[in-house]
Amino acid sequence: MKALCWQGKENVRVETVDDPKILNPHDAVIRITRTAICGSDLHLYNGFIPTLEPGDILGHEFMGEVVETGREVSRVKPGDRVVVPFTIACGQCHFCKNQLWSLCDNTNPNAWLAEKFFGFSPSGLFGYSHMTGGYAGGQAQYARVPFVDVGALKVPDGIPDEQVLFLSDIFPTGYMGAENCNIKPGDVVAIWGCGPVGQFAIRSAYMLGAEKVIAIDRFPERLKLARAAKADIINYDEVDDVIDELKWMTGGRGPDACIDAVGMEAHGHGIPAMYDSTKQALKISFDRPLVLRQAIQACRKGGVVSIPGVYGGFVDKIPFGAAMNKGLTMRMGQTHMMRYMQPLLDRVQKGDIDPSFVITHRLSLEEAPLGYKMFRDKEQACIKVVLDPWKEPLAA
Amino acid sequence: MTIKTSSNNDRHQFGKKSSRIRTASSLAAGAALAAVAKSRRGWSRWAFVLGSGYLVYRGVTARQRPETGAVRVAFTIEKSPEEVFRFLSEPSNWRQALPEFTIDSTADVIRIKLQTPAAILESDAEITDRAEGSFIAWRSLPGALEHRGVVRLRPAAGNRGTELSVAMEYAMPAGAIARGLASLSGHDPEQLVRETLRRIKQLLEAGEIPTTAGQPSGHRGAKGTALRFVFREQPGEIPGEPARLAGD
Repeated sequence: MKALCWQGKENVRVETVDDPKILNPHDAVIRITRTAICGSDLHLYNGFIPTLEPGDILGHEFMGEVVETGREVSRVKPGDRVVVPFTIACGQCHFCKNQLWSLCDNTNPNAWLAEKFFGFSPSGLFGYSHMTGGYAGGQAQYARVPFVDVGALKVPDGIPDEQVLFLSDIFPTGYMGAENCNIKPGDVVAIWGCGPVGQFAIRSAYMLGAEKVIAIDRFPERLKLARAAKADIINYDEVDDVIDELKWMTGGRGPDACIDAVGMEAHGHGIPAMYDSTKQALKISFDRPLVLRQAIQACRKGGVVSIPGVYGGFVDKIPFGAAMNKGLTMRMGQTHMMRYMQPLLDRVQKGDIDPSFVITHRLSLEEAPLGYKMFRDKEQACIKVVLDPWKEPLAA
Repeated sequence: MTIKTSSNNDRHQFGKKSSRIRTASSLAAGAALAAVAKSRRGWSRWAFVLGSGYLVYRGVTARQRPETGAVRVAFTIEKSPEEVFRFLSEPSNWRQALPEFTIDSTADVIRIKLQTPAAILESDAEITDRAEGSFIAWRSLPGALEHRGVVRLRPAAGNRGTELSVAMEYAMPAGAIARGLASLSGHDPEQLVRETLRRIKQLLEAGEIPTTAGQPSGHRGAKGTALRFVFREQPGEIPGEPARLAGD
C-alpha cells in the first residue's frame, strides 16, 4: 500500500509499504477512505518530537471501512464504516474505566520509554513517535487498529466522510478544551490559536453556554473563520498588548477561562519569543510556551487555564507566581476521545454543527508532502488539509 | 521440598562465554582509547591514557567481580488478589510474560533459560514459601546466577484491585560494562522485572500485550535500522499459544 513516511526534519514522502495485518486478537484492519493532517503533525514535521525514526508512518486522524478483524473482536465487523480515535485504549484498566481514555495503562508497547520522560506512560497514539508506541499511522491506504471494539465509532451511511472525519481528533479535542473551562453563564472565554482545534473550541464554548468567546491569532483567514462563529477577535500583530486588550474587553476582570490551543510551537514577538526560539534551536528545550505564559497572565483571578495544545518536554520561565497567587485551575491532557465521539456525532447528525467548515484543501495522498508544507507555512490561506488515499494526483 | 543441584558444567559454561566477550570488549575499548591518545597532546593525552588503562584493567579483572543488586518494582492491577495469584501459579502464563525466556517446571524446580547476545543464562529456582493469594517466595538453586525474592499481592485500597510487587536480590558474575550492554538490550535486572510485571498486568487487564512487531514501515536507512535496536518491538502473542487469563 501507499503510506506517508517520515524521513527526517521537513522530509516526508509517500512510499510503497507492506499492507498492515492483524497482530493481536483485538485488532482490526481498516481500509482508509479519508484522513487529515493535524497541527500536532507539524511538530513531527519540524523535528521537535524526539524518538521518531526514518520510515515511521504518520497520521492519526482517519476513518474508513473495516476489512478484517481479530478473533476477540465482537462489536465491530467487516463492512462497518468507522471513525478511529487517535488514542488507543484497552477499556479495562483503571484509567479507561474512569473515562480517562488517553491515560490507558496497557496500550503503549514502549511504556518504558515514556516513563523515562514522564514518570508514567500515557496511552498509545497512532503515528506519533516511538515514545507513544510507534504505531503506524493513518496517512495511508490501510491501517491496523488495536482494541477496535473500544475505540472505533460506527457511523451510518448517508453522512459524508468530511462531516465525521474530525471526530477522530480535532472536534473532541476542541470540545474537551472548552469543557475543561467549566463554563458558567456569563463567562468570557479567550482562545489562543484559530487553527482547526481552536475553531472547534470556539464553537464548543458557545455550545457549552459561554457568553462571549475572544479568539486570538494573526492570520486573516483564520480570524475570519472565528468571526463567522460569532467570536470577537484579537489580531496580535495589530495590538500593542494582548493582555491589556483582553482586560479592556472584559470590563477589567480578565477572561474567566483561557484556552491554549497552540502548544509548543507558539509564535510571537519580542524578547520572550526570541528566547524560546533560540533555546529550541540549540536543543536546550523542546517547547516554546509563549501562549501558556500569556494565558496565565491574562486569566482572571480564580479562573481556568485549559491546555489542549501539545507540549513535549520542558518549558521555561512560566509565571507560576501569577498562577499560584491568582488561584488558577489548570486542566490539560490528550483528549479522552471515547467520552466525546458518540455525543458529538449525535450533534452532527442533529445538524448543530457541520465540522467540514474547517476544510480548505483536499489533496491526494501523493500530494501530502505539499500539504504539510502549505499547512505549516499557512500558504494559500490553508486551514485544514484532508487527504484521499485512493485519489489519483492531478497530472503535473 | 527436594533440592536439586544444577550440574557443575553450567557454572563453567556461563563464566567462560560471557567473561570472554566482556574481557574482549573492555580490552578493545582500552586499545581504541590508547590509539586516540597517541594522536593527542598535553593534558588530553593523559586523560585518554588513563581512560584506556582503566578499561584494560577492568577487562582483565572483570571476570572476578560479582555484580549484586536489589530490585523493587510494583504495579497495580484491576483484578482481585485471588485472580492474580491464580494467574501467577500457572507456569505456562509466565511464558507470555517472559517471552525471551524458556521455562520448564517440574513440581519442585523451575528452570529458566535466557538467550542474550553475550551468553546463555541459565538458572534453576525453587519456591521456598507461598501463601494462597498473598505471596510467593523463591530462591535460586546453587549455580552461577544467584537470586531470591518475594512476589507479594496486596489488595489496593479503594477497590482498585491488587498491588503486585516484586522485591528481589541478585548476584551475577558480570562487570559494569556487561551490565551496561545488558541494559541496552533490555536485560538489566530491574528492566526485566519491570517489563515482566507490566506484561502480567496487560495480560490480566487487556487480554493481550501491546505490540507493533510486524507492522508496516517505510524505508529505514542506516539510522533507522540502528534506532530499531533501541526501540525493539515486543511481539504481542507467542504464535500458537493464545494468552490464558486467570479464571480460564
